[in-house]
Amino acid sequence: MAPIIEVHGLRKTYRSVVALDGIDLTLPRAAIGLLGANGAGKTTLIRTLLGLARPDRGNARVVGLDTRTQGVQVREHVGYMPEADALPQGTTAADFVGHMAEMSGLPARAARQRAADVLYQVGLGEERYRLIKGFSTGMRQRVKLAQAIVHDPQLVFLDEPTAGMDPQGRDAMLELVERIYRSLGIAVVFSSHILEDIERVCDHVVIIDGGRVVTEQPLGDLGTEPGELIVRVEGDVDAFKRILTQRGYPLSRGRLDGNPDEFVVHMEDERVYDVIRDAAVDAGVALRSLRSRSRSLEDLYLGNVGVPREVTSGNG
Amino acid sequence: MATAEPAVSPPPASSPSEGRYGEVFDRGYAHYTGERLGRRQAFRSLIVYSMKRSMGIRKSWTAKILPFFLYLAAIIPVIVMIGLTALVPQANMASYPNYFLAIFTIVGIFVAAVAPEMLCVDRRERTLPLYFARAITRFDYVLAKVLATAILTMTLSVVPVVILWLGRQLVAESPGQAMRANVEDLGKVVLVGSLIALVLGTAGLVISSLTDRRIVAVAIIVVGFLILTATANIGYELLGEEAEWARYLLLISPSDLFGSLIYHLFTDSQSENGLISDAEFSLRFKLLYMLGFVVVGILFIRWRYAPKD
Repeated sequence: MAPIIEVHGLRKTYRSVVALDGIDLTLPRAAIGLLGANGAGKTTLIRTLLGLARPDRGNARVVGLDTRTQGVQVREHVGYMPEADALPQGTTAADFVGHMAEMSGLPARAARQRAADVLYQVGLGEERYRLIKGFSTGMRQRVKLAQAIVHDPQLVFLDEPTAGMDPQGRDAMLELVERIYRSLGIAVVFSSHILEDIERVCDHVVIIDGGRVVTEQPLGDLGTEPGELIVRVEGDVDAFKRILTQRGYPLSRGRLDGNPDEFVVHMEDERVYDVIRDAAVDAGVALRSLRSRSRSLEDLYLGNVGVPREVTSGNG
Repeated sequence: MATAEPAVSPPPASSPSEGRYGEVFDRGYAHYTGERLGRRQAFRSLIVYSMKRSMGIRKSWTAKILPFFLYLAAIIPVIVMIGLTALVPQANMASYPNYFLAIFTIVGIFVAAVAPEMLCVDRRERTLPLYFARAITRFDYVLAKVLATAILTMTLSVVPVVILWLGRQLVAESPGQAMRANVEDLGKVVLVGSLIALVLGTAGLVISSLTDRRIVAVAIIVVGFLILTATANIGYELLGEEAEWARYLLLISPSDLFGSLIYHLFTDSQSENGLISDAEFSLRFKLLYMLGFVVVGILFIRWRYAPKD
């Protein structure tokens, strides 16, 4: 299947700030998570792919069309849900979403019909003739989502769609986003700084840091990669560390919550269990727990970027 | 969320008339397979939507008050003029210059109400990213707003005066003959009305592009028109005889500019042309100046809407 997004050497600067630094990407038709801290370059990448920002260098193709020369056609087949609260107050949801459908080229009659259908799909069927100014944050997010998919795009860019939502609203929004791809068959680029959201919704991830793509891969591959062992010991920890290192199994790091007695050992092969047991005996420490875990998105992020404060593994 | 079965529902096999009473249909998501009209449709939709919103359509009744009274104020003189012409044909009350001068201020107020609604609200409500992520360019957006403003303004500056033209012909002894004889006047009133709409509309939008606040834009447009007119007239009175360049001051006064154009087109005598006729600008110069103003205004607004990167 043809890639939904192809990017070659994309560079974008804002005066002295390098927002995108030579990005190369080839992304399949999937639910793609765009993960990065605030200011990593996610929104700039989306704006450039929509043809809204002109790159200094490089080129991009979205849904098979060149963003530089075919920007209008690209936007005809792509939806966009911005992070900001970008809705008119004094109009009804049905009017506005219908207008947005027409702005994507749908005839007036079809646009009105599609607006009603899509608002029903996002759970605003009953409220569609109410003025948007009376809507809650969650409802407004749904209107933004509805306008992004009303013209039946091939691809939809969702820029931080769960921003500012309470846990319940966030859960409902994630369900909707997941449904857009799984049930409606619309490819999704889901930009977020929340690991958990991307892990739940996406099947492919692109991690951006400082305007560069640090890694890009299917999330399904994480489970098949070699995992890690989390080891907790009590006693002469330094001696235990030294013996393990001498035997070729250095302790990589402590856990995220900073428990000083817990260590992570890469599980290269099955022999590691015997080595840990023998090292514990030789160092005279008590082995309190030994459990394995497969690589998670968090590990992938930490392994590539480190621990920036803005990226959260919770609900943001 | 568990992966659901695709909600894409096939069209019902039977027509609605064949459905059973009370049958429940699955309103699942259906992909759009119909016509896509692209940029042309987006452009047209933006014009229509902007016009509707500016006129308060599908908004509260308070949003409709001002346009209603302005239309009333524009149409009443037409009715009065046609009525007087029918009753006293010799009086020639229904002259086009009189009508244009009578409604010029009304059109100015209308533009001050409509233009900010066209631009300020989109910026204030931050809907611009949604528009620019659609099948239009930034220039399309600006052009659509200019056209929407001009078309709406023409409903005040062209439509009533065309009705006046029609009324004048209908009260003549031989309406058919009068229409044929005065078809040139029809062209002139449409030209003047359209230029008023384009020039004032563009000026209103240029000012509206400078602020997000609608009320501020309204105030600047009204006060700006007054200040420009006063500056032009006072400046010309004070300097007109001493400095040759002072006559160009009159070009910044919309009322003097259009007053001059109207008399230039509709009267044989140049004696009543007002101050600007004294400044001896030719008809061609005035027309080119107005069209140039509109083009520069559009380019300025486009510059205001250029991406900030």
